[in-house]
Amino acid sequence: MQNDRLLAYFMILPVVIAVLAFVIGPTYNVATLSLTKIVMGQERGFGTFSNFTSLTADPVFWLVMKNTAIWILGGTCLCVLVGLGVGTFLAVDSKLTGTLRALILLPWVLPDVVTAMAWKWMLHGQVGIIGQTLESTGMTEGTISFLGDPNLVMWALVVVLIWRKMPLVALILCAAIRSVPDDQIEAARMDGASPLERFRFVIIPNIAFSLTAVTVISMIWITAEFALPWIMTGGGPANASQIMSTYIYQQSFEFFNWGVASAMSVINLVMLASIVALYLYINRRSWASEGSE
Amino acid sequence: MINAINRRRFLGTTAVAGAVTLATVGGAYAQSGELSVWKFGGTPNEVEQWAGRNDAFSEANPDVELNYSYFNGQIRRQKILAGFQTRRLADVIVAFGQDIPEFVGFGMVQPLDDIAGDRIDGWKERIVPEVLESGMEDGKLYGLPTYVDMASFLAVNLDALEEAGFDRPPATWDELRKYAKAMTKPGRPGIAFPATTAPVDINIFEGIAYANGGRIFDDETGKVTLNDPGIVDALQLYVDLIADGSTPAATSLTETFFRDTAQLFGQGRSAMWIGLSWLNTPWGVNEDVRWTGVPFPRPDEATGSFPPVNAIMDPTAILMVSARSDNPEAAIEYLDFWSQNEQLEIWGGQPEIARIPAGVAAWDNAELEAVWPNWVKAYNEGTLFEGAAPMPRFIGVSAIESALGTAIQEAVLGQKTPQEALDDATKAAQTQIDLIRG
Repeated sequence: MQNDRLLAYFMILPVVIAVLAFVIGPTYNVATLSLTKIVMGQERGFGTFSNFTSLTADPVFWLVMKNTAIWILGGTCLCVLVGLGVGTFLAVDSKLTGTLRALILLPWVLPDVVTAMAWKWMLHGQVGIIGQTLESTGMTEGTISFLGDPNLVMWALVVVLIWRKMPLVALILCAAIRSVPDDQIEAARMDGASPLERFRFVIIPNIAFSLTAVTVISMIWITAEFALPWIMTGGGPANASQIMSTYIYQQSFEFFNWGVASAMSVINLVMLASIVALYLYINRRSWASEGSE
Repeated sequence: MINAINRRRFLGTTAVAGAVTLATVGGAYAQSGELSVWKFGGTPNEVEQWAGRNDAFSEANPDVELNYSYFNGQIRRQKILAGFQTRRLADVIVAFGQDIPEFVGFGMVQPLDDIAGDRIDGWKERIVPEVLESGMEDGKLYGLPTYVDMASFLAVNLDALEEAGFDRPPATWDELRKYAKAMTKPGRPGIAFPATTAPVDINIFEGIAYANGGRIFDDETGKVTLNDPGIVDALQLYVDLIADGSTPAATSLTETFFRDTAQLFGQGRSAMWIGLSWLNTPWGVNEDVRWTGVPFPRPDEATGSFPPVNAIMDPTAILMVSARSDNPEAAIEYLDFWSQNEQLEIWGGQPEIARIPAGVAAWDNAELEAVWPNWVKAYNEGTLFEGAAPMPRFIGVSAIESALGTAIQEAVLGQKTPQEALDDATKAAQTQIDLIRG
């Protein structure tokens, strides 16, 4: 018995080491850096909150917070909602949906850089195919600069984000919907439930665990996303699309201000953990019970 | 009291963090005879030529195992910084002259005076002195330049110019406003300029502002000077051109970086565009578009607080030896190879016409004279570099240029007046500079 326990610990040791080395270690390092005044690689004092106070005094930081909220909350909600709609459609058996289930992964497998460059070109007001099509079909009077207009840029980025992230969400939810027992749906039908009611009261409760998991994962993916916004806009115009990940990059590699960048990373982590915890708490009954089953 | 405990010591007290730190900063060991080179940026032609000449280096130095990598110029800072921190920096870095002060500040690169010995005498003979000067910092040579780019220049569509009744390109800011308006017709603005936050777009604007006596930073006082009249008025010129209806929509300018602007001009969709000395040469223009390149028009009267310059220049392929190099002898051999006329002539009009060559011998090439007769004439007369200054280069330059980029966009979009935008940018950049400089 004792030997079995030792063997078990031994077997999980590589994972423990990996987690310590690649998750806990860097996180701890960033946390200590956030309490260190460190610029241009030179340490100028540990045990200070000056990085956090610098951030709160920076007007761009509050714009970054607002943009990040649109990016994470808008991106996650729309990604999951669109993914749920597409997943529901794909769950229907037909030749078309069979083909689409394979094709829909295409945006997911494309590299970030390729996606960003292609969308940047398509959305460009002067040379982009989307603006030119809108103009030539008479839908707009002139071309629209989706990425150059401060009022449009964040939402244009969110659309691209959804295009990129939604397919996997849709496939996961499609698989969950297809695993809902037929007899439950049939029983609801016989009781006179409309399609909408069957979806709301039979399918949704059955896929609650998958829905919660995919929402949390999407939120984490979207928070960590850097390449898309950075390549497409560089945070512009006039910081209108500056989000946490791009501003952290700018502070680190353009201004060499690692202390402030680390402080932002800590805020980002706390913010994300809080949102995820709140979300899991609100949905605790539906997903926890199904998970335990 | 805040400084009573050192962060490194604090980390050392925790065994786990200590182990992680050791694991993440583990050293990389280069083998004897290996030479790694990272090159950042360049025109397509130049990138191809560079790789080809590397083969010649390997043939001439069979004992040196050359490991060459090419990267996009925009990622150079994080790549080099990350390499330095993880002790995996290449032996030779081919980056931009604007980077030198910060790389020196970090201790990332070595002074060549200390390791190149008498090779430097040969470099001085083969390289134009004004260009070699661009590799200097604090009186020491840190980089071997192969060419320079100058700001700012204007590309002009000759058909559009003649259609509008002009027989020469504009020479002053007032003329530029008039020309741009007169050359505008439906679907073809008179002038386009890039206004993204890309460093090159900012360099293009700096060329105009410096010619108006503006500076972004005063090294003597340590003050950010983005709201100097020289810069405010240069930004007002951008705003005036937009207000006159001579440009594409303002929202289009803020998403159009230099290469897109060159493309618009090359397709005949803009009558003029503002760029660096290379203008359209790396990307070409449609065959039916006749064009010429001229220095950007001068202000009617310089309004800045500093002496106006004729141009600003920077070597964007300058070879530096990293402080982490395990093989400085081979690194110097590589630099010396690139200081030879055979290599420097790449930029002598054949095959590359987009740069201002560093090699003295390259200026004798007939191909260069055929493409840029005015450059060669000015070089031979000794006036090409007259009144030219380096592009902004000091510790913290990125922070100020970033603030300037934001201010340009705010003014272009009409969110703020040039004065308001640059006042705010000055304040924001000064905070960063004070932090960086301690």
